[in-house]
Amino acid sequence: MKNKQIENCITVEHLNKTYITYKRGETFRETVKSFFKREQVLIKAVNDISFTVPSGSIIGVLGPNGAGKSTLIKMMTGTLFPTSGTIDVMGYMPVKNRSRYVRRIGAVFGQKSQLIWDIPPVDSFAMNAAIYNIPKDVYKSRLDKMCAMFDLGDVIYKPTRVLSLGERMKCEFIMAMLHEPEVVFLDEPTIGLDVIAKQKIRSFIKAMNKNGTTFVLTTHDLEDVEQLAQEVIIVNHGEKVFDGTLHELRSILGEKKIISLTFDKAVKDFSLKGATIVEKPSDREIVLEVDTSKASVSKVIKKISEQYVFTDISVKELPMETIITHVYNE
Amino acid sequence: MKTFFNFISHKLRILKAVAFVTYKEWSAYRTHSMVSIFIGPVYFFVQYCIWKALYGDSQTLNGMQFSSMMTYFGANALIGYLTMDFADWNLQMLVRTGKFLTFALRPIHHRFFAFSQKIGHRFLGLVFEFIPCYILFTLLFKVNLVPPEPLWAVLSIVLGFLMTFYVNYCIGLTAFFFVRAEGVRQVFQLMLTICSGGLLPLSFFPTVIQKLLFFLPFQYILYVPSMVCTGSYNLAGISMGLPQIVGIQAIAVILTALFSELLYRLSIKRFTGVGA
Amino acid sequence: MKNKISFLSKLHSALHLYKIGLKVAFSTELAYRANFIMSSLIMLCFNILFPLVTVLMYQWSSFPGWNIWEVLLIQSIFTIAQGFNSMFFSGIFWQTNERIREGSLEVILLKPVNSLLFMMSSSINPEGIGVMLGGGIMYGFALYHVGITSIAFFVQSVLFFLGGLCVMWSFTMIMSATSFKWVGNSRIPEIFDSLLNFGKYPSRIFPQAIQAIITYIIPVAMIGYYPASALLGKMEISQLLLLIPCVIFCILGMLLYNWMIKLYEGVGG
Repeated sequence: MKNKQIENCITVEHLNKTYITYKRGETFRETVKSFFKREQVLIKAVNDISFTVPSGSIIGVLGPNGAGKSTLIKMMTGTLFPTSGTIDVMGYMPVKNRSRYVRRIGAVFGQKSQLIWDIPPVDSFAMNAAIYNIPKDVYKSRLDKMCAMFDLGDVIYKPTRVLSLGERMKCEFIMAMLHEPEVVFLDEPTIGLDVIAKQKIRSFIKAMNKNGTTFVLTTHDLEDVEQLAQEVIIVNHGEKVFDGTLHELRSILGEKKIISLTFDKAVKDFSLKGATIVEKPSDREIVLEVDTSKASVSKVIKKISEQYVFTDISVKELPMETIITHVYNE
Repeated sequence: MKTFFNFISHKLRILKAVAFVTYKEWSAYRTHSMVSIFIGPVYFFVQYCIWKALYGDSQTLNGMQFSSMMTYFGANALIGYLTMDFADWNLQMLVRTGKFLTFALRPIHHRFFAFSQKIGHRFLGLVFEFIPCYILFTLLFKVNLVPPEPLWAVLSIVLGFLMTFYVNYCIGLTAFFFVRAEGVRQVFQLMLTICSGGLLPLSFFPTVIQKLLFFLPFQYILYVPSMVCTGSYNLAGISMGLPQIVGIQAIAVILTALFSELLYRLSIKRFTGVGA
Repeated sequence: MKNKISFLSKLHSALHLYKIGLKVAFSTELAYRANFIMSSLIMLCFNILFPLVTVLMYQWSSFPGWNIWEVLLIQSIFTIAQGFNSMFFSGIFWQTNERIREGSLEVILLKPVNSLLFMMSSSINPEGIGVMLGGGIMYGFALYHVGITSIAFFVQSVLFFLGGLCVMWSFTMIMSATSFKWVGNSRIPEIFDSLLNFGKYPSRIFPQAIQAIITYIIPVAMIGYYPASALLGKMEISQLLLLIPCVIFCILGMLLYNWMIKLYEGVGG
């Protein structure tokens, strides 16, 4: 029975990717030895990963370097075939049906630019329009719309090599989405960009997502995850270590909150049942970690105000970094 | 029928767009074409000196007159301008930098893309390399460069254009299999130059080698078009009329194209197996 | 005294850097085992192709005053020089060219070692060994048929050969310098390759004017022709003076390169 409302556009089942490399040896002597007799080393880049992505969602894939994120994305885009397991994207098997499949997806792989270096992006766009066979008037209107969203103006008429990284990234996005793909894969889309450029790109992704485009993005940037991802997958050592919503991720370490307080006078020996001191930036300031499943925020604040006077207070979620590091280390 | 027509018009659209984009990279090309205009005449001049010394007082050598020899090398240089490409170099760069990935992610056959690039570049070559050097060779070096049968010459050159592309593309595809392919590529290019008659007319090779060369794709790149421009063709003792040799050239092009497709598929298989 | 010590220690660390570079280059190559064997074999066989063409030409005629072994002597010495160039020098050009295009030359310039030395030791191309070996084998053959008539000739030949290497080095410097102006032009080596053609044949086949140029101004004749001539006893001892244009050419090349670096640093890249 198909649930028409929540249809999965991507289904990954028991995906594996194993590489064979050879032990090289460290000293020069070992290297010469390995020339004649080599030791095989099996590397499991992706180890039995399964997940689904609902249509029209944005899913973030997190993981430390070398965790297997890029390998995973490459398999989903059809540019790397799995050792075993299945991938289904919109009914296609990415590697098998590659030439038909790539018509309907877009991809921005950070370091590998589609723009041609010495000529203006607009010419590269026109070339892609020809490749995807986008009718000229449709191409024009989409281009105008996307340029307006990015507020690019005349930038697209200057040679790519004189553009800043932020401008180039925006053009990469336009290039990847001119043909209105239904699924877009992004590999570290905001890396190296300044704050404003990052925001612009995130707004763009959100706007496109509202139109129904599904996004799969790998990232190191936790802001990306917090602002964009509806679901998060965390990969470490080739394995999936977390799969759920952002909310579930936040509550992985329990219902904890961070309360920061500034007192009107110096406080020594602060203690409170149910709260652990995280930091003491000065003798007037204190940062507490409170498990709200044991004691509610209002109870805690009430208890503190019974004993102390404070001039400033803030209540926050656990920083994402703490959560993620915890997950990585598990 | 309609879908066939759409297919062709789509392909033409891509060809035009890529050729145009390549044409637009003109400012980088300016310096490239200056290099070409230098190399052709130098090559010809060196050959002139070599053969003048080798001919000495004799009128003919292996049945070829000195003037025909000069026409041969002049034609070599000029045809080179019309048919040369960097398909092997470009493809190897794409594989080396990992940028080939961007083609695997788009609905385009890279070879068709590379071919469209060549059209763009050679159009520039026609205007900025071929024509100036043709004038230079005819007026300064006083070489006779008017083919006795212009139509067959043009056809043969077009086929040479295609053949060069397919052979260079196959060489470029080896980048998927060999990691540091630069040296291998240089060697292939040297072999190509020699076996296509770039340094010595193929009729000067030992008969056994000539027989072998008849069946390899290299002669169809340069030797055949150049000989068609001189008006007569012979190799391995086989003498044939221009229509016949051009016909054989066409068959050779088709076979090489098929081979390149096979190699392309193997390369993509390897690429998607091992990753970028 | 202090200067002497620091010079020695600089030399020592330079050699050490070079040794590491060699090791890294070779272990990288050996790691790609099949690739290395394959490309070495191909190099070995096919770089004999060019001299074979000369052999073929000689079936029909000859350069006046030069028999086939003598001409092969020129071309084998040339091949050895080419192999040496490809192994140690050409990497510098490619590194410079690419880094200028990408804007990452500063990375090299900021290193606490001489930038040229660094580039040279990090871009050693072991495939050059295949070329040198092929040239060496051919040289052996040619030498066997020609015979060394005197040690003095051999020494002169070696000195000229070293002069030829200086010319190759200068070419690398000039090509790299050109990269600063013709950014990203990967066809620069083709110009110099075509000039090198003048050194592969007895220079007598060229007009007087060209002979003068390739001897005194752009001494490509020193790469193959003069070392072979010297070995064959065709040159006077006094002609050792011909090494002077080579040295001058070499110095000019380095000056040009350094000047371009200074300009580059001045503008900020």
